Amino acid sequence: MSQTQTPDMPAASHAPAPTEQRAIWLRFAVVACLVATFPFITSSQYYLHVAILVLINSTFAMSLSVIARTGQLSLCHAGFASVGGYISALGAMHLGIPPVFGVVIGGVVAGLVALPLGWIILKLRGVYFVLVTFTFGQMLTLLAIDAQSITEGANGIVGVPPIRLFGYAFTDRISYFYLAGAFAALVFLFSWRLLNAPAGRNFTCVEENLQLAESTGIDTRKTQVVAFVVGSAIAGMGGAMMTHYIRYISPDSFTFWTSVAFITMMVVGGRWALAGPFIGALIITPLPEILRATGGLQHIIYGAILILVLQFLPDGVASIGQRLRAFRKGGRP
Amino acid sequence: MMLKALLTSATVAVTLIATGAQAQEELKIGVLVTLSGAGATWGNAMKGAAEMAAEDINKEGGLEVAGKKYKIRLISYDDQFKSSEAITAMNRLISEDKVKIIMGPMGSAPAVALAPITSQAKVITMTMAFTPKAMNAETPYAFRPVLPTGIFAKPQADWVVKKLGVTKIAGLFPNDETGQAIFKDNEVAYEAVGAKFVAKEVFERERTDFTPLLIRIMATDAEAIELDGNSPQTAGLIVRQARELGWTKPIIRTGGDATADILSVAGKEFAEGVYVHQPLNLEIPETKALVDRWKATYKTEINGFTPFFYVNMHMLFEGMKQAGTVEDTDKIMEATLALKDFPSVLGPVNWTGQELWGRNQQLIAPFYVGQIRNGQSETIATCDIVTCK
Amino acid sequence: MTGTLIAQSLVNGVVLGMTYVLVAIGFTLIFGIMRMVNFAHGEFYMLGAFVTFFAFAHYQIPFIVSLGIAAVLIGALGMLIERVIFRPFRGNELNGMIAALGLAIIIQNVALIAWGADPRPVPSVVTGILKLGPLIFPWSRLYVIAAAAVIVALFYIVITYTSLGRAMRAVAQDTEIALVQGIRAERIYPFAFGLSVALAALAGGLMGPVFGVSPAVGLAPMLKAFIVVIIGGLGSVSGALLGGLLLGIVESFASTFLGATVSDFLLLGLVMAILIFRPWGLMGVKEA
Repeated sequence: MSQTQTPDMPAASHAPAPTEQRAIWLRFAVVACLVATFPFITSSQYYLHVAILVLINSTFAMSLSVIARTGQLSLCHAGFASVGGYISALGAMHLGIPPVFGVVIGGVVAGLVALPLGWIILKLRGVYFVLVTFTFGQMLTLLAIDAQSITEGANGIVGVPPIRLFGYAFTDRISYFYLAGAFAALVFLFSWRLLNAPAGRNFTCVEENLQLAESTGIDTRKTQVVAFVVGSAIAGMGGAMMTHYIRYISPDSFTFWTSVAFITMMVVGGRWALAGPFIGALIITPLPEILRATGGLQHIIYGAILILVLQFLPDGVASIGQRLRAFRKGGRP
Repeated sequence: MMLKALLTSATVAVTLIATGAQAQEELKIGVLVTLSGAGATWGNAMKGAAEMAAEDINKEGGLEVAGKKYKIRLISYDDQFKSSEAITAMNRLISEDKVKIIMGPMGSAPAVALAPITSQAKVITMTMAFTPKAMNAETPYAFRPVLPTGIFAKPQADWVVKKLGVTKIAGLFPNDETGQAIFKDNEVAYEAVGAKFVAKEVFERERTDFTPLLIRIMATDAEAIELDGNSPQTAGLIVRQARELGWTKPIIRTGGDATADILSVAGKEFAEGVYVHQPLNLEIPETKALVDRWKATYKTEINGFTPFFYVNMHMLFEGMKQAGTVEDTDKIMEATLALKDFPSVLGPVNWTGQELWGRNQQLIAPFYVGQIRNGQSETIATCDIVTCK
Repeated sequence: MTGTLIAQSLVNGVVLGMTYVLVAIGFTLIFGIMRMVNFAHGEFYMLGAFVTFFAFAHYQIPFIVSLGIAAVLIGALGMLIERVIFRPFRGNELNGMIAALGLAIIIQNVALIAWGADPRPVPSVVTGILKLGPLIFPWSRLYVIAAAAVIVALFYIVITYTSLGRAMRAVAQDTEIALVQGIRAERIYPFAFGLSVALAALAGGLMGPVFGVSPAVGLAPMLKAFIVVIIGGLGSVSGALLGGLLLGIVESFASTFLGATVSDFLLLGLVMAILIFRPWGLMGVKEA
């Protein structure tokens, strides 16, 4: 069932030729331009709000897929987002650190937390890794609730200041939309370059065959740790971006189920395609909105979509194009 | 987005067919509460209150404001007890559905997170949040129909100490926003009347086994157990497990209506003798009628909070009539807040809160101390903000 | 006084531990045989609690029979779900796990729509307390220990002495060797899954009268099952037994003597420590 053996599956399993690189740049530019016109199409605060969520969520899914490229599934991705969010919010409110630096610091701290954890637990494979990240995520949530003197406990932190740049405060939706867009674009470009760099290509080798990768001299553990730290750091920055947008953070903001939502985005979009996480965020984020009126049914549909995509499109929506092409060529999809 | 557009047009089409040719105006009211997960108990209580109030109006052909008749239509969204979901849904209610009045937000966290948004959009809200941040000088459009624990803790603690003669209290509190805030309220209230907490146990919300904590409490010289701040189900579990361990001293539930759940989870036998906060007095015929109507409509027991939201909703309808507008929320607020001794299913009700929170937007009605006897809560004292008699 | 506390904590710990064992054995069994982490395991616990509740409280069927009905119904449902949902994910741990998360969301919300969020009152099966000097034990809890012990014993007999049980163990040890011996893993999977969720359903049914029944009751036991299998070793049935009892007792003592919050942190810390120093668990086998 694993599609990784199929030769013409998308992906980063081989280094893209320069023409391919140009094609990606081109597509990226087209998408970026399309996204940038969105506020001209609608001025609805609600649609803009959902669009901002899509952009920020795409960075969570993207960073999660960086980790997933090395064959590990992190269940505390939201936990790291929460670390970044709290650090940036508290830094801005108590130490007067400008949020624009706070976002970066939040990311760095999340990465620093991930480093020792990753170093210790990445010798665990597959399922064990999942269970530890799950447990660690629970611990982070508990910590946010119990460290009342710092985090204000379960009440959460109200009145988180907005991000300011050169004296301009990003408080309205249109400006934040572009800020989030810029952030998402940076994360995309960074992830792409990382996965294409020699170090990044190791990622996929490690995913595909651990033993083989080891025998060819790739330090698998180091590769996995790097992916985990980088992915978690991006999640931390994303968490800070979200916090300065919502202007509020509480232990409920990023829970285990938020991590599940990120995983869903990654899987539905497609893990192996670069655009996959973005497509996933684009589909999954507005989904509850479309289904909101159906009440409890929305969760059932959500779960069903997850299972159906896994069964029939294990490489996500992003692989539809590839499948069609393969089908036209007469090949087996 | 396309699907959304399709759905919206489909809804519009259906609505057009339903309302037919009679060009009646429609007044949309939002409901933003928790409809899934453990919080759904309260969410349904608030949603049901809005539904019953809307039904009252629609049955009479609509709400007559400035010569026009408005049919009430409710738009309900689930916030899943998450502030981020609540923010998204609130944005939708305000900028897509163009709603001016909202039943909700329900929980403290969403209420706090949403306060700036609703204040800016001048949208009237009715919250259940007990935190002072949910209704204060900065929230000119927020009503709170139910009294927060901070208010009834004082008179009820006073009553407990005087009537039951206990001064050493043990408390079990969930480690969440409600539990943390309510413990502080209770501590102040009990200390003011010369009692104190000799044991305080804090636990995570998911906990279902309280035996170890109860054993700890029973090893102290506590004379009564206080269950304020716990979800009704948890309160029921604690009552059951305490009685199973042989705890015979008083169990007190100071705030929040939990009688139905204590009875159903702990069972009639174990629940016997528990002192409960009782928001309703069934001896008032109108209250009784509403309780019966709920049971006939929803086939469950009414939540003690429901009538308060129902009354607040009707006060807003009255406010709109008097202000002559369904759009200008400033005028609606003014007219609604001017209502005095408003005749309601709870008896005459008023607004309070100026001294405590800087705003008179707290609904106040008498409340009661009850004791569970033979599967029912019997009123044993009537309270106002100062004292219980 | 301290002696009393210790004795009470011990009994309470064993009660908790026995339920953890029931939930964790099934969880670990699925992993051992199918290499799958069943994130929906707690939801089968919840379904079992509901079926038992309806049979016992509504239809007045004796409690033991109600438990049996729950085990059979949920076991059958499990076999069906294994066939329809999980079969395509054979050999793909990650996707199977994510699919199980999806399933958990579905089951939980179906239950919520069907039965509402309010907890249901489950009548007591046994009442009264056992007094031994200063010690007080509710019979409702002692009953759980006895019932769980019987269920574990039955499970042991099935897995040791029946041909199905032997086949399951063979598959768990090595799929290929089992195949050589003529055991088709494909055939075994549905039974293993059914048996495993039936155990969860039994645990749910058994605990209903103690902790109440609502769509949300499945989450906590599943979290505990995670911890148990990490302590005991993923895939190891004896590990689940040992880990479950150990967890129950440690939790009970820590909560009694240190308080609930400290206890929660302590447990998570314990899990991390075991994962770091002995990732294959106390009874598990170190993987290559």
